[in-house]
Amino acid sequence: MSESIADRAGELSGTEETILREVGYDAPASRSATAVLIDHDLRVASSQIDGVEIMPIQEALMRYDWVQNLMFNMIAPDENELLRQSVELLDDPIGHFIYVHDGTKVPHPIQTFTVMERPQGRQFTHNITVIGKDAEVDMISGAAVPGNVHAGHHVSIEETYIRDGARCRGVSIERWGSNMLVDSFSRSEVGAGAEVVSNQIMLAALRRHLSDSKTYIGADASSNEQAIIFAPQGTKRTFELEVFLTAEGARSEHLARMVSAGGEIINNNLLVGQAPGTNGFLGCDGLMLSSEGEIVATPSLKAASHESMLSHEASVGMIDKDKLAYLMASGLSEDRARDLIVQGFLNLNDVYIPDEMRAQVTDMIAAAQSGGM
Amino acid sequence: MLELRDLSVFVGDKPILHNIDLKVGVGEVHVLLGPNGSGKSSVLAAIMGLSPFEVTRGSILYRDKDLDGLGIDERAALGLGMAFQRPPELDGVTVEEFAAALDASRELTNESALLNMEDFAQRDLMVGFSGGEIKRWEVLKLFLQDPDFLLFDEPESGVDLEHIAAIGAAVRKLVSKPAKDGSKRGALLITHTGLILEHIDADQGHLMRDGKIIHSGAPKDLFKHIQKQGYVAPAA
Repeated sequence: MSESIADRAGELSGTEETILREVGYDAPASRSATAVLIDHDLRVASSQIDGVEIMPIQEALMRYDWVQNLMFNMIAPDENELLRQSVELLDDPIGHFIYVHDGTKVPHPIQTFTVMERPQGRQFTHNITVIGKDAEVDMISGAAVPGNVHAGHHVSIEETYIRDGARCRGVSIERWGSNMLVDSFSRSEVGAGAEVVSNQIMLAALRRHLSDSKTYIGADASSNEQAIIFAPQGTKRTFELEVFLTAEGARSEHLARMVSAGGEIINNNLLVGQAPGTNGFLGCDGLMLSSEGEIVATPSLKAASHESMLSHEASVGMIDKDKLAYLMASGLSEDRARDLIVQGFLNLNDVYIPDEMRAQVTDMIAAAQSGGM
Repeated sequence: MLELRDLSVFVGDKPILHNIDLKVGVGEVHVLLGPNGSGKSSVLAAIMGLSPFEVTRGSILYRDKDLDGLGIDERAALGLGMAFQRPPELDGVTVEEFAAALDASRELTNESALLNMEDFAQRDLMVGFSGGEIKRWEVLKLFLQDPDFLLFDEPESGVDLEHIAAIGAAVRKLVSKPAKDGSKRGALLITHTGLILEHIDADQGHLMRDGKIIHSGAPKDLFKHIQKQGYVAPAA
């Protein structure tokens, strides 16, 4: 058990536990490790098992000098003007460092959450995760705000290192405030022979969300990502995603399923095959629930090797009237029929979601459609 | 129970059904026969209120209530249910989820064996179903929906002989089950092959041609006549 457990096993309030449970939180005793950031305080950073360390990023920088080499390694502070400003404003980084030691088979998920409790707050986080060689781990992460927080600005950097032969399966669920701004920058390096399954579920309303991500996949490694994206009226989500198949045998499949209920979704994906024997697929499917809103899906392929196999599919459409009529003729109300079609479109059955969270996510989809989120 | 009065139906500006009169009493099973394109499926679609079928004349009454202006779900809520001939694929919606949405998970468990569909709970609706599996599912769906009046659009066509008996038994069970208020159910059934007539006791047969009912009579006799003479009205 790591030293940081006793230091950071702070208590969450009942309200905090309640809002976090909606995005996947469970009692730390039932998870292998837990990190919870409340505003600027990493309230909980605890590990239940040997081989998993979890601590504030500042502590990690002091404890392990090699962590310095991982920070701003895949992303430069001046890469983006917002990032540059955010980095300059903060003397000390806020965020967590997770280190799963080589070969550790983590028995229960590691959970990490970010909460903004201060209305009109500003939060800038920098998290670093290292999954050691041949380690195996499931990760659950989430973001949430209490019901009284509608506005604020969250900026995050995630740098994730999946070492050779490691297996990492993750799901993240966010539930921000309806008038919030969120800018997330994530960079991932997937080592040789490693396997990554990553699912993002973004259902709740917010004003503007920019997600900027780059993933570098090594030799014979695979990455399978799915993004479930919902944009109610007043929400604009922009995704700038780039996947680089950097070495022979690298494989990637990225699927985005987007639903606009009056909101705007811009999804720009680029898949780059940089080596022979690489194989990648981009899929972008959009469903428009009303004549308002917009979905722009732009999957792009770039082959830098003549032996790179890359493909993409994109579609955007309305709810199929025949499906709606069929379900209504079967005894469902129009609203319930729409729910079922949207849930089918989002195809959560194919998405890794811990069993105990599945019903919750289904409820979130129904709530999002009815404007309840 | 169900009455079509002088019913005419258009699709766009094209007339499909002309002046149909049809009355199915409580507990009665009626059969529609006719060549392809004669308008049989259009009758069922118009009763269920499906697009693009538009009633331009006459009326459809169910339990003495005029269905004019009612949506599909409102008709279903009144007690109408239909086994579709070509239902759409519903990717990502499993049989189990559909049953749960109808609050009929127990019925799915209880009745799926009757139609040899015990292993379908995790399958997406209609996705990858064979023609015969679709027909069996549509009958099973009616067990889940539990309507008082049953509309069947060719429930046995495309079904292999092995499963015809299962469909026949299931349709018979559905038809003979009491309605929610304890009264008898009614049914209107389209058949092309006539095989289903071996499994149910139909009360009345109607021969359709060119969007009109041109003859009504005993269903088995009418079917035998069609087998010998084709789709022409028997001599008076």
